[in-house]
Amino acid sequence: MNRRHFLARSAAGLSVLGGFSSYAQANLNKASILVIGGGFGGATAAKYLRLFSNNTANVTLIEPNASFLSCPMSNFVVAGMRTMADITSPYESLTKHHGIKLIRDSVTAIDPDKKTVTLASGTTLGYDKVVLSPGISLMMNSIEGLAKANQAGITLQAWKAGPETLMLYKQLAAMRDGGVFAISIPEAPYRCPPGPYERASLVAHYLKQHKPKSKVLILDANQDLTSKGALFKKAWAEQYSGLIEYRPSHNVAGVDAKTRTLRFEVQDDVRADVLNVLPAMSAGEIAIKTGLANANGRWVNVDFLNFESTATKDIHVLGDAIQTAPLMPKSGHMANQHAKVAAAAIIAQLNDWPINPAPVVNNTCYSFVNEQAAVHIASVHQYDAQAKTFKSVPGAGGLSTESSTKEGSYAWGWAHSIWADTLA
Amino acid sequence: MKFLASSFLLILSLSGSCWAQVSTADQLYQQSLAATCANCHGTNGKGLPNQSIPLISQISSEELLAQLLAYKSGTRPGTLMPQLAKGYTDAQLESIANQLGKKP
Repeated sequence: MNRRHFLARSAAGLSVLGGFSSYAQANLNKASILVIGGGFGGATAAKYLRLFSNNTANVTLIEPNASFLSCPMSNFVVAGMRTMADITSPYESLTKHHGIKLIRDSVTAIDPDKKTVTLASGTTLGYDKVVLSPGISLMMNSIEGLAKANQAGITLQAWKAGPETLMLYKQLAAMRDGGVFAISIPEAPYRCPPGPYERASLVAHYLKQHKPKSKVLILDANQDLTSKGALFKKAWAEQYSGLIEYRPSHNVAGVDAKTRTLRFEVQDDVRADVLNVLPAMSAGEIAIKTGLANANGRWVNVDFLNFESTATKDIHVLGDAIQTAPLMPKSGHMANQHAKVAAAAIIAQLNDWPINPAPVVNNTCYSFVNEQAAVHIASVHQYDAQAKTFKSVPGAGGLSTESSTKEGSYAWGWAHSIWADTLA
Repeated sequence: MKFLASSFLLILSLSGSCWAQVSTADQLYQQSLAATCANCHGTNGKGLPNQSIPLISQISSEELLAQLLAYKSGTRPGTLMPQLAKGYTDAQLESIANQLGKKP
């Protein structure tokens, strides 16, 4: 941009300043904004709604968990290399540093007509804007016998970071040397495409050290790895030869809890000692219950300029729950980026300003192939006004050339930074 | 450098007290653009000390822009930044550098 362009654009900025009325400011101050869900999407939205409004917007964050549990880096807990404390962050900084009201509760209903939200405690709150970041729901009923098996702890998902994360490690630690750890992957799209392959790698790293006669079996419903395929395959061949076995096109149809056996649509049954079954996923339950899941009944279509649901006005949906733009992954990093676009659009709207016509988001995703070395995938997505969606910029983004400990160190830097950007 | 100084003055004069205030739609757009860097480099570019990721708020806006453009053109090597810089327009990189670089 040369000097003339810069001045021209600043002049445009000045003309907008003229539209900044006290009436609009009053709208902004009066509006009640309820943020539902304190994951990467919701917590970031709450914080940036305050930052973008010079701390004047009235923002309440509703989240049932006492503290934030990070899915990124939770595979280190599964593999016994880190503790739950290492992936846990407090929510209190959002109140202390940013003046966000916190309600520890879950939402049982949203009424878009009355514009109210009902909490499990029975309280009903009115809203002008809802930011809904409900995460995913695991479709336990899509696999015969899974709901019961998972409830009994015969299978575990450990895909939403929480008690199952540690339970899965305990099962791995209790497994005999020579045992089989099986992880099954649903058809894409699902939360965190490379996550299962990272988990398999870190579990293999653990087994190599502690139980070298054991095996990791990856049962993938997809025809090939859905992310970072060549990088993972190279790492597995070099570091875990004979320890990791990858089986594509293996779609789990049923679970026999008694015999710890997985049944498939076509292939032979698989018996394993530890069963990490990941079923198909959908938008979080509250999004479906509110009638927002208008993409195959599973995901929420949004207007990508402000992330408002196309089903209902004044409910903005973020993160893994949305029907993503092409080549846009379901990741925590991306949810944080959605949140900033949505927060800016909501503040613009409440100020009576036009919404940014050209937002941009990026994705950065690191995966570890062993305790120290990581690989990355990155992408940049610019809004395309004609197509009304984000488009991945050709020639930008890409993958690591190979795994390295340098990228492993960047990966931990990324984790601490995004936790702070989201929560501190 | 003259240009950068004048843009800072302009931003300061628009916002009154603190440059980070949002008083216009344009400032909101610019801040939300720079916020795409915050996941790794910290809110408002204030990164975490003692981590592996460079603290960009310690670099002047002029130098930061030079680095971003060098990543974009491929003359500066890196792991992730060359890939990300290629996805932004020059004008976007300039806005980011102005906002996140070290203040004079």
